[in-house]
Amino acid sequence: MNVPLTSPSLTSPPAGSRAAHVTAEIGRLVVALVAAVLLETALAANVRVMGANPDFALIVVACVGLLRGAEVGAGFGFLAGTLVSFVLLEPVGVNSFIFVIVGYLAGRYAETADLQSGFAPVVTVFAASLLAQSMFAVTQFLLARQVPFVFVTTRVIVPAVILDTLLAAPMYVVVRFWMRGEGTRRAYQTP
Amino acid sequence: MRRRAIAALLLVLSVAMLTLYFRETAGGAVHRVQETSLTVISPLQRGAARAIKPFRDAWHWVGDLFHAKSENADLKQEIAKLQLDDARYLTIQQENDQLRALLAIKRGHIFANGTNDGLRLIPARVIARSTNVWYSTVTIDVGRSAGVAVYDAVVNGEGLVGRVTAVTDNACQVTLITDQQSFVDAMVLPGGGQGLVAGSVTGDLTLQYVDKSQVVKVGQDVVTSGMRDSIFVRGIPIGVVTGVAQQDVELYQSISIRPLVDFHKLDFVMVVHK
Repeated sequence: MNVPLTSPSLTSPPAGSRAAHVTAEIGRLVVALVAAVLLETALAANVRVMGANPDFALIVVACVGLLRGAEVGAGFGFLAGTLVSFVLLEPVGVNSFIFVIVGYLAGRYAETADLQSGFAPVVTVFAASLLAQSMFAVTQFLLARQVPFVFVTTRVIVPAVILDTLLAAPMYVVVRFWMRGEGTRRAYQTP
Repeated sequence: MRRRAIAALLLVLSVAMLTLYFRETAGGAVHRVQETSLTVISPLQRGAARAIKPFRDAWHWVGDLFHAKSENADLKQEIAKLQLDDARYLTIQQENDQLRALLAIKRGHIFANGTNDGLRLIPARVIARSTNVWYSTVTIDVGRSAGVAVYDAVVNGEGLVGRVTAVTDNACQVTLITDQQSFVDAMVLPGGGQGLVAGSVTGDLTLQYVDKSQVVKVGQDVVTSGMRDSIFVRGIPIGVVTGVAQQDVELYQSISIRPLVDFHKLDFVMVVHK
């Protein structure tokens, strides 16, 4: 029996529904963006566990990268990082630079990962948090601020990575529920 | 290829924004957008801070409880029962203590010279905290409309908290004295050895540039010196000397300070407007 090479999900939607589909998709992303920024600036600032604050924005960026691919992940990361820096009165550009990389790499990873296993979000957020915290430290070093290696490693990076990783699975479930609809672009779908 | 191009473009944009941020003045476009953003978000931060406060207090009580256990297990159990039975009462009491301490500032008790004549004291509440160790800042719920200005000192019932570094109409950002870019002109009492109290990324305070000829001992108090043109008035308590070291190769003494303020439990503060 011959099986068609193109799955139904790869066929183009009718022209009329495409605009509505894109609008809905943008709406979902905007709401996710606002929620991520509010969580980061209003909630995370008041929650400190083991000396670390949860990086909700980073986790949401990683989840969006996983669910929507590298392009959307990078763009979402840029906007989330910029807004967080604006609201927290931190140097603008640092967060966006790091979140772009996180969103992009999460999207690239999603192209080959098995997202149904539940393992991918945890691995992604663990790697994203480790990468982001390390890049924050390097950025601070470049900005001529103190970066004592042992302190930063044991009191900053490790607690933050553990905390973010613990939050990865529940937050991924929430983000996936909200972003339901169009699936992740797999490797064979990307140009 | 297109994905890489987009990511590269966004990275370049980020670097461009970072460059612009550091090259422009404090009144530049990016800084103004930041202030506007804070104005918009501060009511939400205020609400979140109030909603989360009972949980934060409960968390702190658990932390305190864990500490006490190593000293007296029986006492800890009793305290735990009391705390769990009446967490709400303890939360209110803690707020009451902080407000009473702020009242003491109003009455002139916080300042070493016993007076705060000529100063305007503006009570405020912490509504947000920095989310990483690189920037030790808090956001408080008073701003330009209440008379707050950049460089105003911020204190609580225990001592010096920091200084105002950004102001919007209804909120402002306070850089804590533990921030690594914070420097406060200070002196040791008694004795009068003067120097600069510097923060660090670890949260520790050090008193720098104290001449070796000055005798400084563990346990002495450190207060703001209020030198001419200083942004801090004279005599605000900062901390207690916990260590003094001298090295032949160094020009100055190395003095460690334990801050009087518990920065993890900041709730109510007072802005000191000159």
